[in-house]
Amino acid sequence: MNLVEIAGLLLIIMMLFLAGGVWIAMTLAIVGFIGMAFFTGTPPGKNLFTAFWGSNASWTLAALPMFIWMGEILFRTKLSEEMFEGLSPWLNKIPGRLMHTTILGCGIFGSVSGSSAATCATIAKVALPELVKRGYDEKIALGSLATAGTLGILIPPSITMVVYAVAADASIIRIFLAGFIPGFILMALFSGYIVVWALRNPDKTPPPGPEMNFMEKVRASGNLIPCAALIIFIIWVLVAGLATATECAAYGVLGSLAIAWWGGSLTWRSFIDSLMGATRVSCMIMFILAGASFLSMTMAYTGIPRALAEWVASLALSPYALIGVLAVLYIILGTALDGISMIVLTSAVVLPMIQKAGFDLIWFGIFIVLLVEIAEVTPPVGFNLFVLQNMTGKDSNYIAKCSLPFFACLVLCIAIITVFPATVTWLPDAVMNKK
Amino acid sequence: MRRTLNFIYAAAGYLAAFFIFAIFVVMIGQTIMRELGMRTGGTDDIVAWACAAAAFLAMADTFKRGDFVRVGLLLESLGPKTRQAFEIGSLAVASAFCAYLAFWACRFTFESWQFNDMANGLIVIPLWIPQLSFVVGALILCLAVVDEFVIVLSGRRPTYVIATEERHARGDFTEDV
Repeated sequence: MNLVEIAGLLLIIMMLFLAGGVWIAMTLAIVGFIGMAFFTGTPPGKNLFTAFWGSNASWTLAALPMFIWMGEILFRTKLSEEMFEGLSPWLNKIPGRLMHTTILGCGIFGSVSGSSAATCATIAKVALPELVKRGYDEKIALGSLATAGTLGILIPPSITMVVYAVAADASIIRIFLAGFIPGFILMALFSGYIVVWALRNPDKTPPPGPEMNFMEKVRASGNLIPCAALIIFIIWVLVAGLATATECAAYGVLGSLAIAWWGGSLTWRSFIDSLMGATRVSCMIMFILAGASFLSMTMAYTGIPRALAEWVASLALSPYALIGVLAVLYIILGTALDGISMIVLTSAVVLPMIQKAGFDLIWFGIFIVLLVEIAEVTPPVGFNLFVLQNMTGKDSNYIAKCSLPFFACLVLCIAIITVFPATVTWLPDAVMNKK
Repeated sequence: MRRTLNFIYAAAGYLAAFFIFAIFVVMIGQTIMRELGMRTGGTDDIVAWACAAAAFLAMADTFKRGDFVRVGLLLESLGPKTRQAFEIGSLAVASAFCAYLAFWACRFTFESWQFNDMANGLIVIPLWIPQLSFVVGALILCLAVVDEFVIVLSGRRPTYVIATEERHARGDFTEDV
């Protein structure tokens, strides 16, 4: 069998198992086992152990449960309600009205959260029932929540960026800084789409809420202070050099506990609940990472990714065409793999290629994060789709269909940063001295 | 019997949560120690091992509560009888995989102990000590999956499905991230 046939066979086996209801993490590992046992000369047992142990016993990965715990604590506070109340008075005059709370909420929450799923879940918890109750269009709400939730990994802090920085041996802080402007561009695109949609479908936007005067609006926005304080606290800890990018996750937990305590929602019970919740969610994600890491190992042994990368290199494309091909490649990989394994799997072959073509590694990091964001909303393994599927009981394919227009915004954002690379590199160069 | 098993899963879950809390404490402690000019090199290893322990020990509890993600597309469109057959199939595959995983966790860690492999970081301890969390976690996960297999074979509905339904009925989605 040639490599393409093997890849096809493994893909079919994976789809069968997934459809049959075998847990995703186990499916990834089992497909990895089949690939390694039958198509390579490597015994799978020891590699299975090494992949599972190596992917979980990681100092960098330890930021993951911290960021998740932080999200769980904030989830149990009134932060997202406050955010909703603080934002909504300002949106009455804009076409689409409260629909924009999903975008702004995810953007703001993204700057205290490093995970796309946590951002999506936290904002959806408040925004979705409120929007549906007031009669807003459910399809647009679901689509914007699924996609805007991915701002969690574009706007720093971001787990995905940490993983990339380690893989590419690049500065974590520089990549964090590089994420801000593309994050704003993406928010503008999302909100822009909602405005256009609302203007074209005026009957689908419910009437505005009661109008407030300016001072009332400012007072309502006082609700945003705790979140702003947390953002400033985390940035201060980082900039003051008190903590590394990984350790600032623990300070995020500390800050979140302080907010919960201040708001009176920190009880022994909620503390244990948030900790246990974070433990299970981290376990679920780390189990997937472990399974994916074993599958990645098999892939590396079979040489399928290398064959792909070599084929791309052999085409001797222009830089833009190369970026286009890579984008397509990552979108295809993203339908089956989660973002973090996608990055780890490809970095060894793709990064040298990219540098050779004259692209900046920091720029490529943002490019890849945007593609991971696309992967988060692409079935069958789109994480945000699972989150919303679980929260609403709606089918994940339906939610993926709702996200299509916002998916297009993501693609547009990739085009913008490709044509104007300064949108990514300007801020890190301005804040830190140029390399 | 049921109570003993549930106690084992819960106890491992709480132990995992303790390790998450430990990561938090060590990370904060590390930055404070660094500010005070103390050496902190070894804490990185402790954090990494705590991270692994948290992930492995929580597996059974996470599985039982239905927090492991799976594709429900087809499953949820099936009638109760076919669905039960699919659950049996999934659990048979899962049992085989978890048994294999637990076997290799035991075997590899046993070899670490046998050959006295040492950690190559700043904290030089035998590697089998942190690896023990993988052994314990994988064994308990295997126990939980086989336990579930037996439940479903005897015609009852799986615990993880009931647990998820009950949680969703309460309107609690915090664990579905």
